[in-house]
Amino acid sequence: MLYFILRRCVMLIPVLIGLTLVMFAIARLLPGDPVGLAAGPNATQEEIAALAREFGLDKPIWVQYANYVGGLLQGDLGTSLLTRRPVAADIAAFLPATLELVIAAMTIAVVVGIPLGLVTAVWRNRWPDYVSQVLAIGAISMPRFFLGLLLQLCFAMWLMWLPLGGRLPIIVFPPPTVTGFLTIDTLIAGDLEAFWTALRHLAMPAIAMSLSPLATIMRMMRASTIEVMNQDYVMTARALGLPRGKIILKYVARNAVSATLTVIGLYFGWLLGGTVLVETVFDWPGLGLYATKAIISQDMMPVIGVALVIGLLFVVANLIIDLAYGVINPKVRYS
Amino acid sequence: MTSSSFHLSRRGLLAMAGAGLATASLPSQLFAQSGRNILVVASGQDIPNFDPHTATGYSASFFMRNVYDPLVRVEGSPPEPRPALAESWDVSDDGLTYRFNLNPAATFHSGNSVTSEDVIYSFQRALELAKGNSWMIRGVVTPEGITAPDARTVEFQLAKPFAAFLQVLPWIFVVEKAAVEANLGDDMGQSWLLTNTAGSGPFQVARYQVGTLYHLGRAETSWQEGGGNLDGVIWQIVRETATQRLMLQRGEAHIAVDLTSEDMESLADAPGVVRVMEPEYRTFSIKMNTEHGPLADINLRKAIVHAVNYEAIRDSAGFADLMTGPLPTGILGHDPALEVPRMDLDKAREYMAKTERPDGGFSLRMVHVSGLEQQRRWALIMLDSLKQIGIDLEIQPLKWPDMVAACASPETFPDFFPVYQTANYGDPDNIAFAAYHSSRNGGWQNAVYSNPEVDALIEAGRTEIEPEKRAEIYGEFQRKVVADAPDIFGVLELRKIGLRDSVQNYQFTPVASNAIQAWPLSIG
Repeated sequence: MLYFILRRCVMLIPVLIGLTLVMFAIARLLPGDPVGLAAGPNATQEEIAALAREFGLDKPIWVQYANYVGGLLQGDLGTSLLTRRPVAADIAAFLPATLELVIAAMTIAVVVGIPLGLVTAVWRNRWPDYVSQVLAIGAISMPRFFLGLLLQLCFAMWLMWLPLGGRLPIIVFPPPTVTGFLTIDTLIAGDLEAFWTALRHLAMPAIAMSLSPLATIMRMMRASTIEVMNQDYVMTARALGLPRGKIILKYVARNAVSATLTVIGLYFGWLLGGTVLVETVFDWPGLGLYATKAIISQDMMPVIGVALVIGLLFVVANLIIDLAYGVINPKVRYS
Repeated sequence: MTSSSFHLSRRGLLAMAGAGLATASLPSQLFAQSGRNILVVASGQDIPNFDPHTATGYSASFFMRNVYDPLVRVEGSPPEPRPALAESWDVSDDGLTYRFNLNPAATFHSGNSVTSEDVIYSFQRALELAKGNSWMIRGVVTPEGITAPDARTVEFQLAKPFAAFLQVLPWIFVVEKAAVEANLGDDMGQSWLLTNTAGSGPFQVARYQVGTLYHLGRAETSWQEGGGNLDGVIWQIVRETATQRLMLQRGEAHIAVDLTSEDMESLADAPGVVRVMEPEYRTFSIKMNTEHGPLADINLRKAIVHAVNYEAIRDSAGFADLMTGPLPTGILGHDPALEVPRMDLDKAREYMAKTERPDGGFSLRMVHVSGLEQQRRWALIMLDSLKQIGIDLEIQPLKWPDMVAACASPETFPDFFPVYQTANYGDPDNIAFAAYHSSRNGGWQNAVYSNPEVDALIEAGRTEIEPEKRAEIYGEFQRKVVADAPDIFGVLELRKIGLRDSVQNYQFTPVASNAIQAWPLSIG
């Protein structure tokens, strides 16, 4: 297994090099004038040229690329043309918020979606199945930002149960940063009240993010459970008179969840790159907003930096999923 | 980053904030319970960095106005210069020499006095970096033209008379020379000033989280006279305007600065909310390609400016007034009696008859910023208007960087190019020069229009210091521009700001009004 992990880590290198190459090529092929834009409407041609020189953008693209890779090896992801802040520092500031949101959303999706899928398969073509099917279609169809606004209106405006947005009330100082996840850092600081506050802020955006993967996971789990339930060994177990609950939980669920794992891995990556709308509605200071702003203004260093980080996380998430296959199904061998 | 000036126990606050599901945490109530007056401003724009000589945008202007001091400030409508670091000033008759007497009470956050040496250093740094707002004094102030007769006096010998000089000074901020010099690095202190400050303003940074909030606490050294009862001000980043509105309604924010017309409508009867809708020096117009393609023909341009449905443009803009010429209403020199084209299809057809293709039957191209619904609506109104004179319109949404790139030459510039122009300082020179002087050709504010007579008038308006004579010059300038018909004059959108009724002493200024100057404000 160690060899498998090592091999996958080595395979990551060409993936990341490919990503930087593609992003650099896109940066060059795109029309537009990012330097002129960053210099502002009143800059002279000399000032625009000076800004390009300052950021090394007057050099040939291969020199720019070499400089970037050189910096990358030292942990330097470049500097934003617009804010002039180091990209690595910005990503370090914004990534934990996005990761916390995505992990919370995926946790809700998995914890609710898998049992629901199991239930609807066992009671298929009966009312729990029909109800969940309608809800699943609704959850997949509803745009996340719209759902976010509805949640805000309902829980923050009318019921006043939950805060409108942000990660903590602005009056509250965040706990010392250890992981960057406020829910974890507040626990590390031993501050249960702060943990509760952070959790309340996380609730609505995480629910808004989770519904689409939840519905997909549920439907996927339902389909694979039905398939497994028709397998011979399940028939045999039933014929032997094993209790129904034991058959489903011990033999059916475990086998059915393997297929669902792939979807979970893919969704994790998809959510990482797709948080921007929820982040906008809930003022969640995450990577999605940062990347979108950079893309709109063609500020390429943050765009490349974010693409690299998300690419890296996506590969790591899928590696974890691959390893999980082996835990769930010992017949899976790493090669 | 934390500060000793903010002494609230986190545990105590959390006990208030997170008591239970049934209790919503409203920061304004929590601040009130804590006995501190903290003004919360909800805004969609993050503050790029803390360097007053490189950062731009209204969020940066907010930060600089509150953390740093300029020599003079502007207040009122129209904006008038008021003392800031300079308690008084004299101007020579020829408008070339300005002598500023610094307020002896002026003190940096470090406790050191603000001296003329700091002022000279700041202007020289701004000019040398040539970023941020330095363009406002480019060619007017030279490094060697600033001298210090003594520690409390600064004298500017301008390279040429510049009537708007006192209007641009509020946007050039003074840093403490010793603090920047001690952290100079190899980039004139730019890296250090990304996250540190060296100002003398009434507030200083108490804490900040990039992309979330900037909390400014009242500086212990605050020396400015007057002022309200604020202990601090928080610039909270709230991207979605609907959320800004909800925060205002719930009392979570005292001021929301990015509200839309729809937000303002729904706030009409909201209890505890005051709506501010005032005309700002911010114009929306549609530029035409006067140099290349069919619109190089002035008769076609005149036909078009008479075919446009201006009422529809105004209606689709929400709370807005129609422009009545190239300059914003209310600014010095604006001529309210100026005759500007309005929809008149007979006149439009008369001008069409003088063109090469009087019956139309051709197509023109209009670009707009993709995703900006307002601009898309205006493009559709143009489509409808041009049909009246037999012209088709191809509408092309573009990303803003692509729009900017299209301005490089008349050949790449589209037939119609919509643009917002915001005055950076309260003088007609700002919009006149940026939008109509030929030296700006190639940039997005005036990609192609060029008329030597108009250039001469703009230059005369810059150097003339007598207000009456300037008004005459700008009157002539407006008539000439209208006669050339380089633009379809659109609307002056009203600036839309929402306030809680607890905010006192708010005064609207039509320049950078969303960069709230917090010092005079109080919370009742």
